[in-house]
Amino acid sequence: MSTERTAGGSNYEYVIARVRSRRAALFDDDDYRKLIRMGPGEIARFMEESEYESEMNALGARHSGVDLIEYALNRNVAKHFDDLLQWADGQLYGYVARYLRKFDVWNVKTIIRGLYAGTDASDVETDLIRAGEFDDAFLDQLLNAGSIEELVELLEPTRFGDPLAEAYAVYEDEGVLVPLENALDRAFYEDLLTGLSGEQSRAMELYVEFLSAEVDFRNLRNAFRLARSGADLDPSEYYIEGGKLFTEDEIRQLARNRDQLVEFVRSSKYGEDLEAGLDSLEAADSLIEFERALDAALLEYSGRLSNRYPLSICPVLAYVLAKEREVDNIRAIARGREGGLSTDEIENELVIL
Amino acid sequence: MIETLTAVLTALGPVLQEGGAQTINQAPAIPNKAAAALAVGLAAFGAGFAERGIGAAAVGAIAEDDDMFGRGLILTVLPETLVILALVVVFVVPAQ
Repeated sequence: MSTERTAGGSNYEYVIARVRSRRAALFDDDDYRKLIRMGPGEIARFMEESEYESEMNALGARHSGVDLIEYALNRNVAKHFDDLLQWADGQLYGYVARYLRKFDVWNVKTIIRGLYAGTDASDVETDLIRAGEFDDAFLDQLLNAGSIEELVELLEPTRFGDPLAEAYAVYEDEGVLVPLENALDRAFYEDLLTGLSGEQSRAMELYVEFLSAEVDFRNLRNAFRLARSGADLDPSEYYIEGGKLFTEDEIRQLARNRDQLVEFVRSSKYGEDLEAGLDSLEAADSLIEFERALDAALLEYSGRLSNRYPLSICPVLAYVLAKEREVDNIRAIARGREGGLSTDEIENELVIL
Repeated sequence: MIETLTAVLTALGPVLQEGGAQTINQAPAIPNKAAAALAVGLAAFGAGFAERGIGAAAVGAIAEDDDMFGRGLILTVLPETLVILALVVVFVVPAQ
């Protein structure tokens, strides 16, 4: 799908000028402080006067309240990330698409869940984030699939085809969605780090390091969740290859015991960045703060890289992360206010640098 | 690309100079004014190469924010000063 786009040179200057401008337009600390004190209606009004104006106007007639905010956020993300893919040429396109495919995974998962639950296609459609590499026509085709089997067949020619077909057999035996979703996730994460071009530069090394940090953090999160739930699952089934933090054997041993896992992470190269998160994990036994710390560490790292290597993939990636974080934050605020959480509790949910 | 160009020029330089030393009575392989013209051309090439990146970035910035037009334009043509400076060479070099 991406072969023709990756021919020719990359246009870093153009893409990065636009991306930096958009990054500057994201909400800052002050905006968040204001948002935390608002109700859902006020948040919607605040968003109407900001970056999200056109989405809010387009969706305002059909939805209201927190749903309106949520759908406007999804649409806005889709618009911005689609723009990125449209601007980028050459290898830059490949690097950006590699990461944005996670939205393809999200969309396919959403459609599978919709089919499983027998939800109306138009309801499922509002939950899609059309930001990935699949174009609108293909997504509509997927939406109109009558069964999960048909969907898997439609996805055959894509990169998710083989793993999905394998997982479908397991799904047929057991009747649960977990194998399908795991197959999608693993296909995405394992694709992240394979088949990168041989371009040799410091920025490229950092990109690889960044992606492997992403894989490591994903593994870490899974390991902590498993250790916490005490479920008798085989941790290596959830292990994603490509990370540098642990091997499959290590994770099998460590996932049994949380204290050992904390000690292991503390002595790893991420120990310094995650110190605060690990401390609160030990003290309060709360995974939430640790997961926030993971997100914040990733965001800070990407910000640092983008200043150090201005003409590389790093600023684009940093923007993508910052934008995702903004959307998550606004959603957390809106949902939190709706559910009647206190401002302190909502603040704990936010990832702000 | 620039690296190969300089490599060719440094290889060519001594050859041209030796040619001039051996046959004193003959005119140099490249007359003064022609060499000056070459200098201007190379400077313009360099300026163009520099403007390529700046122009792309400037257009990107303008697309996001119209107010950047003035600043973008100035930064884009800034390397053009190289050509103007190189043009001085044409007048400084004697005709013979």
